[in-house]
Amino acid sequence: MWMIEFLRARAFRIAIAFALAIAMATSAVFALIYLKVSTADVERIGALLVDEAAKGAGDSDDRLRRALDLRITRDLRRLDYVALFDAKGGLAFGNVPAMPAIPVDGRAHGVPEFPLPGSNEQADPAIFVARQRPDGSVLLLGRSLLEVYALRETVFRALAIALPPTVLLILAIGAIFASRASRRLARIRKTIADIMNGDLGARLPETGEADDIDKVAHAVNLMLDEINRLLDQLKSVGDNIAHDLRSPLAVARAKIERSLKQESTIEDLRAAMADALDHLDRAGVTIAALLRISAVENEPREKSFGEVDLSAICASVFEFYEPLAQANSIELTLQAPKPTLVRGDKDLMREAISNLVDNAIKFTPAGGKVRIEAATADGRPVVRVSDTGRGVPPQEREKIFRRFYQFERDGRGSGHGLGLSIAETIAKLHGFTLTVEDNNPGARFELRGADKASLALETARS
Amino acid sequence: MKPPVLVIEDEHDLAEEIRFELQASGHVVKLAETWEEGLRAARAGGVAVMVMDRMLHGEDGLTIIETLRDEGNSTPVLVISALSSVDDRIRGLKAGGDDYLVKPFELRELSARVEALSRRVADSRATRLRAGPLEMDLVDRTVRRGERTIDLLPREFKLLEYFMRRPNQIVTRAMLLEDVWNFKFLPQTNVVDVHISNLRRKIDEGGEARLIVNVRATGFKLHVDD
Repeated sequence: MWMIEFLRARAFRIAIAFALAIAMATSAVFALIYLKVSTADVERIGALLVDEAAKGAGDSDDRLRRALDLRITRDLRRLDYVALFDAKGGLAFGNVPAMPAIPVDGRAHGVPEFPLPGSNEQADPAIFVARQRPDGSVLLLGRSLLEVYALRETVFRALAIALPPTVLLILAIGAIFASRASRRLARIRKTIADIMNGDLGARLPETGEADDIDKVAHAVNLMLDEINRLLDQLKSVGDNIAHDLRSPLAVARAKIERSLKQESTIEDLRAAMADALDHLDRAGVTIAALLRISAVENEPREKSFGEVDLSAICASVFEFYEPLAQANSIELTLQAPKPTLVRGDKDLMREAISNLVDNAIKFTPAGGKVRIEAATADGRPVVRVSDTGRGVPPQEREKIFRRFYQFERDGRGSGHGLGLSIAETIAKLHGFTLTVEDNNPGARFELRGADKASLALETARS
Repeated sequence: MKPPVLVIEDEHDLAEEIRFELQASGHVVKLAETWEEGLRAARAGGVAVMVMDRMLHGEDGLTIIETLRDEGNSTPVLVISALSSVDDRIRGLKAGGDDYLVKPFELRELSARVEALSRRVADSRATRLRAGPLEMDLVDRTVRRGERTIDLLPREFKLLEYFMRRPNQIVTRAMLLEDVWNFKFLPQTNVVDVHISNLRRKIDEGGEARLIVNVRATGFKLHVDD
């Protein structure tokens, strides 16, 4: 079973294909060497014979015969052929039995089989050159290719012996790599199956080699972390939604029920209904805010993004909230002297900052201060909204951005707690972070962009 | 008789509530529960405003508006929808919708918006607006109540202009936030009311009658004699 799986594995198939390709390339190189070895020798011998025949054909009869004689004598290995045929075709001198079937044109010609000089049994391939002399006689020079063919044989055998181990080696290496890769993939597959079966804490194995599989595994692990975080958030949100929606509904229901039971006047009924309606409205606001968050989250990212000046947005939010601050005897100040340019959605950013300011004014008692600042600090755009209210205790700081989280700040009005969640959702959409710090006294909310947010814009502008 | 408001909504209970609410504010209401019915009624003409749910029996009705607009029908349309992303809103308005209300909404909000659509907004090219004793010059940026000149900050001027273009018409907080300040969120504070009371303090002096009045649980109205 494992074997079949293994053979089917993509990695193994790639290894096989790779091994085949290498084997073929190696064979091709060997074949080329083999061919070159034989033809180069034959060509060299042919050229030599052609030169010698041309030289010998012009010599006098005597000289020629002496030269031919010498050639035979020197040829200890008996591979050279020499012959001189008279004008009528009769053999005048030489060590060949008869004229080979080649044209008399002074060029080299191969003959597939020719008996070796001085032997009548063994016939081997040979190369010949025949040339007409001025007196009509024909000079024949030749050489057996026995040696060349022997060399060819040797090379061929060497190649035949070397090739199979080479291919096997390549296959083996391929198989090792393939099995390593496939074992890693099998581990990853098993982990994924575990995660699907509910083990949400499991993560894909990372070897730290930073290869392709590792990079994918790392990305998947990051994704799993994020999914886990969202699931956790969802779990607590579920409980909180139920609570936030149920309490106003329960109150409204109780009020209506009670006023129906009692013998009440029309005025009493009206008052009870109006009261119930207020509670239903609160549930409605919660739902509207929740829908707003999901709308922001589903907003196609980047689509509506453009150059946005956070300082200008802060100024417009300041202007919008100034009368409210005055009415509540809160000193609202703005400090945004220079443009703070980022990439983003203007309306959403305005919504986020307004939520922060709305929240700050709501939780600051009369005589307090709320301050809006926009600046670029350490190359990162920052919007700060600080107040002098009661602040947010350290253990609550993480929680307040959670959907539906609500804690009693100052005991003044119970906000639905969603404004901060909306602001945080918008911040995230922009790659910003929203944090809360101590303002001694009060709270300081900080909307901080990644350094890239402003850098990208700087380079785009320059 | 007043021309009717055509309500195309397949959720029966909601359709009935809308009918009651609109009738209570003096409208005649026609109900339609399918696109065919709605389209037929709209083509028959004489409709003051159409209120249509964007999704009817799972079908997107934006094409209905486009069909009507292509046929030269310019009846104002208020689209109500559960689709709330900015993108959906833009698509709804692009298709020819005149206003877009996201579910869940308050019936009072719906009726205020139907009211707004059923009235012709004062000519936007006019350079002078008049409503009761108020007179506004849009070029000189001056406002007078009778003989008295009223000094307004730019933000107050903008707010009053919105009311003067809609005399005797209910204006909700959401409408003000969206149209005057271009905000798409509901503040948890009474910031809108503070703006209104600041404006009120400037336009009503001494024993003068209150011009901008509260409408309980809904919003405000610039109350003047026609």
